[in-house]
Amino acid sequence: MKIDRQKETRKKSITVGSLYEATNERFKLRTLNGERGFENLIKDKNLHRPGLALAGYVELFTFDRVQIIGNTEIKYLDSLKPDQRRVAFMSLLEFKMPCIILTNNNMLDQELLNTAAAKGIPMFGTPFETTKIAYFLADFLDDQFALQIVLHGSFVDVYGVGVLLAGRSGIGKSEIALDLVERGHRLVADDVVMATRKGEGIVMGSGTDLVKHFMEIRGLGLIDVRSVFGIRAIRFQKRVEVVVEFEDWNPTHDYTRTGLDEETVHILDVELPLVKLPIFPGKNVTVIAEVIALNYLLKHYGYDPAGEFSKRLQGVIGEKKEGQRVIDYFEHDFE
Amino acid sequence: MVERVIVIKNRTGLHTRPAATLVKTAAAFKSDFYILKDTFEINGKSIIGVMTLAADQGSTLRLKFIGPDEEQAAQAVTELFERGFDEQL
Repeated sequence: MKIDRQKETRKKSITVGSLYEATNERFKLRTLNGERGFENLIKDKNLHRPGLALAGYVELFTFDRVQIIGNTEIKYLDSLKPDQRRVAFMSLLEFKMPCIILTNNNMLDQELLNTAAAKGIPMFGTPFETTKIAYFLADFLDDQFALQIVLHGSFVDVYGVGVLLAGRSGIGKSEIALDLVERGHRLVADDVVMATRKGEGIVMGSGTDLVKHFMEIRGLGLIDVRSVFGIRAIRFQKRVEVVVEFEDWNPTHDYTRTGLDEETVHILDVELPLVKLPIFPGKNVTVIAEVIALNYLLKHYGYDPAGEFSKRLQGVIGEKKEGQRVIDYFEHDFE
Repeated sequence: MVERVIVIKNRTGLHTRPAATLVKTAAAFKSDFYILKDTFEINGKSIIGVMTLAADQGSTLRLKFIGPDEEQAAQAVTELFERGFDEQL
C-alpha cells in the first residue's frame, strides 16, 4: 500500500477568535478586555508561562505562543509596587503575543488590561487551575495542529476494532463495508477517510462533515447508511487499528500462509498492521474481515495464533514419539 | 504524471450530476486520477470524493493523472470542464 507523504497536511495557524469560539464553554473562558486582537494568529501548539519575561529576562521568550499567567506570576506582580508592576507588564506587552490567559480567577488592574487591549492583545480569565487549563489547551491545540491526510477507502468499526479497507477503485470496498454494516458493524466513513494523528502513535479516522455516512454503491447510486440502517450502524470517529488492502488475485504474489510475519504500513508516521487480501468472485470477504478484527483483538490480548500453532508443532517434533497415531481419542467414543 | 489546472465554469458548480459525469469519464481510463482543491486531495474516480470538494463556480482545481493512458485521460477530463459539463455556463 502506497501512501504519498506529500499529501499530508497540517494547519499552519488558528485565530485567537476561533480558539475562544471553540473552547470558551468547556474552559470557562471569559474576555477581560474586549475582542481586540481576536484576529491574532496562534502558530504554535505549545504554551508558555511568562514568569521570567515578567522579571525582565526576555531572551528566548517564546512570545508567539499562548501565554498563561498563573498564581506564581500574579503573586510576583502583586509583590511589586504599582509603578514597577506597570513597567514589568508593559515590558511583556512589547512582544506581539497572540493572547494571555489568567488562571484561577486571577485579575489584573483594569489599567493593565486596557493597555493590553490597546496593543491588540486579548486577555481571558478562567476559574481553572494553571495545570488543568494547560492540559486542556495543549490537547485542544495538539488536535488543531495535528497532521492529517485524506485516505481513499472505507472505514468500519468491526467488533470495536477500527478496520480500514483499502484497495483500487472499483474493487468493492464499499460493498464489503455495506455487508459489514448489515452484519451489525458500524460505518465510520466511506471513500473519503480523514486520518488525523492524535498524540504519538494514534491515528484517528473520521468522515467529512459533508458526506458523513453517505456511500456509493455501483449500480445503485448514493445511499445514506444512517437513514437506512439507523443510528447503530454508524459512528463519527474511530482509532485506525488495522489496514486491510484488497487486491486482485495475483498468482505470482507470495501471500502469507501462516501469519507468522506481519506486514505493516505507515500512516502519518504511525506503524499499523497491514493485511493484504487477494479477492476473487465467491470469496466471503466480509467474514474474513471479521476474523481479521477478532484476530487483532486476540493478539492485542496477548494470544498469537500463528505463534501458538508453531510452538505446538515444535513441541510435537521435539517429542519424537514412536508409532504415534495422529489422533488418540476414539476409544469408547462411538457417538 | 500529467497535471492540469482548471477553473470551474458552470454556474452551479461541481454538484451531483457533473460529479457523476466526471467520475464516469475518469473511470473509463486506466490511469489514477486525483483532484486537489486547496490542500485537500481526493480520488477523482470516487463520486463521494468529488462531492466532498464542494467546488463552486470559480474554484480552481489541480488535476493529476498517473498511468499508462494519462494523456488521453487528461484530454477527456479537461474537455469536460471546458464544456462546463454541457450545462448552462
